[in-house]
Amino acid sequence: MADEALFLLLHNELVSGVYKSAEQGEVENGRCITKLENMGFRVGQGLIERFTKDTARFKDELDIMKFICKDFWTTVFKKQIDNLRTNHQGIYVLQDNKFRLLTQMSAGKQYLEHASKYLAFTCGLIRGGLSNLGIKSIVTAEVSSMPACKFQVMIQKS
Amino acid sequence: MTVHNLYLFDRNGVCLHYSEWHRKKQAGIPKEEEFKLMYGMLFSIRSFVSKMSPLDMKDGFLAFQTSRYKLHYYETPTGIKVVMNTDLGVGPIRDVLHHIYSALYVELVVKNPLCPLGQAVQSELFRSRLDSYIRSLPFFSARAG
Repeated sequence: MADEALFLLLHNELVSGVYKSAEQGEVENGRCITKLENMGFRVGQGLIERFTKDTARFKDELDIMKFICKDFWTTVFKKQIDNLRTNHQGIYVLQDNKFRLLTQMSAGKQYLEHASKYLAFTCGLIRGGLSNLGIKSIVTAEVSSMPACKFQVMIQKS
Repeated sequence: MTVHNLYLFDRNGVCLHYSEWHRKKQAGIPKEEEFKLMYGMLFSIRSFVSKMSPLDMKDGFLAFQTSRYKLHYYETPTGIKVVMNTDLGVGPIRDVLHHIYSALYVELVVKNPLCPLGQAVQSELFRSRLDSYIRSLPFFSARAG
């Protein structure tokens, strides 16, 4: 499908563009990852407004997380999150066994060190979506073996 | 019936990928020279075929065969050339070469941000998927025929 390839190629260029225009020392201290995450944040805020304009109010936090795992993920990545775990105290782990932006990269350990750059935008996407639904959070991602990856969401109670 | 080896060239003659499955005799020259020789030969044959064709050309150069092997050729509009040597029992395999280009090269190399275009392909995923695809072809048999 044309739009999938378009988003994938655009996202790849986005990551390499941010890294190419990075100044001295910015790569090491994580500024590039932060920039990508902030871009994803703003996009996530906008996307969630569009996707929820016709849905009913959410019952609770868990309901919101399930929405992210099912409908939000399906609309953006054409598949659902494969596994959602929680400790019922504000920490959720979303596991995607075949993350769309990583399937072309490798099937295992090659290129593992570069994987985090390609997950930063999506972390921001989740954080932005949650923030417009009224939840402040911190989202991080980890990859042990491509293309499976885990997103960890820590809800901040104010 | 079997596949001997496969070359993948880009528009500038850089050999992006080479793998072999059954090759009993080597060319006797270093690999770099072999790739240059192959690319130069293809370039010359293509222009020869289009000049000397007695009719209007449709697809151009497709394949050549000797008494022992057959070389199949497929070129895309972007200049990517897929060259496969098989034995004589194999018919036209344009769609196979097209699949190698579209489902393997485009999916796993072009869409991979860590594979710079114009250089030899380092991606392990590409290598392993190509290998299993070739082994799954109906005209590939594990014993050299």
